[in-house]
Amino acid sequence: MNDALRRYPALRAWLLLAPSFLWLLLFFIIPLGIIVVYSFLQRDVYGGVVWKWSLDNYRRVFDPLYFKTFLYSLWIAFLTAFFSLLFGYPLAYFIATRPEKTRNALVLALMIPFWTNFLVRTYAWLTLLRTNTGLINVWLMQWGLLDKPLPLFGNTFAITLGLVYGWMPDMILPIYAALEQIDHRLLEAAEDLYASGWQVFRRVIWPLSLPGVVAGTMLVFIPSLGAFVTPAILGGGKRLMIGNVITNQFLGAHDWPFGSALSVLMMAVMLLATLVYFRTGGDRAGQGGL
Amino acid sequence: MSDASVPAVELRDVVKRFDDVVAVDHVSLQIAPGEFFALLGPSGSGKTTTLRMIGGFELPTEGEVLIEGEPQGYKPPYQRPVNTVFQNYALFPHMTVAQNIAFGLEMRGVPKDEIRRRVGEMLNLVRLSGYEKRRPHQLSGGEQQRVALARALINQPKVLLLDEPLGALDLKLRKAMQLELKAIQEQVGITFVYVTHDQEEAITMADRIAVMNHGRVLQVGPPPEVYEQPRTLFVADFIGETNFIPVEVLRVGSTVEVLTAGGARLQAGWAEPSLNAGAPAVAAVRPERMWLHRPNTAPEGGPWNRVEGIVRHVIYHGLDIRYEIHLAGECSLHVRLPVGRGDADVFQRGEHVIVVWPSEATRVFRRDS
Amino acid sequence: MTASAAKVARQHRTRHWLRRGLFVAYGFLGYAFFYLPIVILVIFSFNDSRSVSKWSGFTLRWYEAMLQDHQIMVALWNSVFVAVVSTLIATVLGTLAALALERYRRFPARLFADITLYLPIIIPDIAMAIMLLAFFKLSGIGFQTWKVSIAGLRLAVPYSVIIGHVAFNISFVAVVVRARLAQMDRTLDEAAQDLYATPWRTFWRVTLPLMMPGVLGGALLAFTLSLDDFVITFFTSGAGFNTLPVRVFGMIRKGVTPKINAVSSLMLGFSLLLVTLALLAARGNEDRKIQMF
Repeated sequence: MNDALRRYPALRAWLLLAPSFLWLLLFFIIPLGIIVVYSFLQRDVYGGVVWKWSLDNYRRVFDPLYFKTFLYSLWIAFLTAFFSLLFGYPLAYFIATRPEKTRNALVLALMIPFWTNFLVRTYAWLTLLRTNTGLINVWLMQWGLLDKPLPLFGNTFAITLGLVYGWMPDMILPIYAALEQIDHRLLEAAEDLYASGWQVFRRVIWPLSLPGVVAGTMLVFIPSLGAFVTPAILGGGKRLMIGNVITNQFLGAHDWPFGSALSVLMMAVMLLATLVYFRTGGDRAGQGGL
Repeated sequence: MSDASVPAVELRDVVKRFDDVVAVDHVSLQIAPGEFFALLGPSGSGKTTTLRMIGGFELPTEGEVLIEGEPQGYKPPYQRPVNTVFQNYALFPHMTVAQNIAFGLEMRGVPKDEIRRRVGEMLNLVRLSGYEKRRPHQLSGGEQQRVALARALINQPKVLLLDEPLGALDLKLRKAMQLELKAIQEQVGITFVYVTHDQEEAITMADRIAVMNHGRVLQVGPPPEVYEQPRTLFVADFIGETNFIPVEVLRVGSTVEVLTAGGARLQAGWAEPSLNAGAPAVAAVRPERMWLHRPNTAPEGGPWNRVEGIVRHVIYHGLDIRYEIHLAGECSLHVRLPVGRGDADVFQRGEHVIVVWPSEATRVFRRDS
Repeated sequence: MTASAAKVARQHRTRHWLRRGLFVAYGFLGYAFFYLPIVILVIFSFNDSRSVSKWSGFTLRWYEAMLQDHQIMVALWNSVFVAVVSTLIATVLGTLAALALERYRRFPARLFADITLYLPIIIPDIAMAIMLLAFFKLSGIGFQTWKVSIAGLRLAVPYSVIIGHVAFNISFVAVVVRARLAQMDRTLDEAAQDLYATPWRTFWRVTLPLMMPGVLGGALLAFTLSLDDFVITFFTSGAGFNTLPVRVFGMIRKGVTPKINAVSSLMLGFSLLLVTLALLAARGNEDRKIQMF
């Protein structure tokens, strides 16, 4: 046995890998397989499945009723990534340009809300945004700035805000990691070569921070697309995302094959996004985000 | 004591392949007990892989490694009577100097008292007494090097393997450590197998050198032999400084004669056996064997080679002056002459000179080898 | 210097300071955005009325109500129990996997194993949740519970929840430990073996102590993610099992009260504690790094 282990390092590697791999095989790969198989089956009247292969579920996804939700989810994920980048990039830049001690403190300060329970953070916004009793509307009306409450709740705005709040640190950290690595001499060299402030940014800083931007965008886009808690709480039951529809198929409507098809499609979109992300080399900068 | 007739280390036709890459290609070596043996070669020549196979960190694809006559087979490192000084020392950062040195004895279950005594002795040997409680990161490069040495030597291995142990040190410290290592080796009498890419280091320290390139051993011998009688163009080029003159072989046999591109006939002391008359070749001569003369004072006849040339550069080097001499036929020679023999002997740039050297100092190699 | 040149220079300087000032102000606003909602949430957990938007004096009664709420206390201990057990399992399995992937550059099906280990990180929790739900129902494993008593409370924790938490935590532990292993000098292991340590002793004396900061970091991340998880627990628990997030979700559905703020503040306290611990682990990481060279 010892000789065999020594002669074949692969054997040692697999012995170490076996427990976790078996766990994931049993409780991840096989479940994934079940969902994929289910997506090609049909439901029966009792909420079970009929073993009859068909593409009906995938056809149904393109039924305007559901496809609109799918597009809406993509739209929300896009908005979330966009606003996270728009507001997160300057913040990452702000952190990266502070002196080292301040910088570390600021990164830590960013981690604290990030490590806070997602549900808690979403709930915090609920107490601020609710239409009649939300803090923002209550205060604005008390100060006489408003006659009637602003529509802050149960809409695209509320969901996007909640997701931006939840995932923006995932955008900031990789961008910060990329910015922090930029050699200051490069900026000086660019200035030495007559580049103005804006040109230094556009020609040197932005391209060098791009891996961080790509990583951050993926890290925000993917979980936003699969969001369930945020639309459930801040959407006020009015605006649904794909995650809520899937949940309904599994817990409410008992149409597992259709729910599976929706999940498979959602994962396919994410896989596509991930492939783009690895292609552009974003994974290296992305480690800062974990 | 070990039997002097049994080699301390023997490699029998060893091959190591990593997938399609042949790292070590049919190497056979015998290293005598108590010998300081150097494996010399450029990076990627297979010298470190060879060392790692002796240590048991890699297993040979073919062939056999024997230590004191005993085949090592699949024995792991911890069952082999050898110890290693690693390139970056590999000191355990979470242990003190004393804990590092004691590690091997502790693993073999040596009693605590004895460990303490022997650690003290070792620290003495490497002149680090009083450093017991320090951590590796609190030591200088040279001190870390000595701890690594002590950690290996305390186990009294049959063979000590050293993988570029001085590579990370600066030049001055390296020179000092070379002497110290050599002295320690003589004191403890353990066989050293020393991997280095520094030919000067190998020449200064080793009893014998094996020159490796592309996974093969090209030549094995004591330093003066390897230096003065290189048997391939690579060895001549890799060790020391050499002048190469492209030539055509005129005659081989008991005397060797070649013709330079500039039309000069040269006699050579040795030619590669595979060379035939008419073949393109390279004549190699060490710069320090050459001498410069003004045309009127050059010796006539005798066992000398002579070529005419023009001084192109004169570089003062303290101990010697180096001349670059341009020959006819787009070839130049470097000549080193000692300083301090009067101004008349300093040649000027542009001066017409004759380069003279003994015929036996000329070695002729195949151009493609 | 002419008067107009001095004026231009002054304008430049003003503009420079204005820009810097705006930038710093933006930084402050950014952090206010992250912190204000949480701070307001905590403040209203002390509000002496049922409202979470109108201040009417200080009270601790919501915390008292929380402590007396049997369901919340059960949910709290459920959370802790699931997090501890799943972290222990995931840390051991994830560390072994990290060793295999980081120490052995090539072996059959390495890429497949690597991807399998990465996927749970990429796949959103909702997808993983329904996968597991389908699996537990279909396989007949179902939602059987592990019955334990902690702090005088009888808990019934479904094995399915623990299994699910381990499944997503293995990957995160493996990533963190791998990062640590990648920094470590591999020749240290060889040196130990050269000094007569068997692979087993090499692991305990050299490899493990050196990768410990990574293992601790991974365990802390796993623990946090496990405490944080709502979606996977919600789907894999069957009926009637609450962790703290699941309980909070249920309470929010019924209406907003300062009691939820109190529970949220408690969870916030947990997070702060964990961040502090993580920070200490990271410190250890850096100390070791210095020692390595």
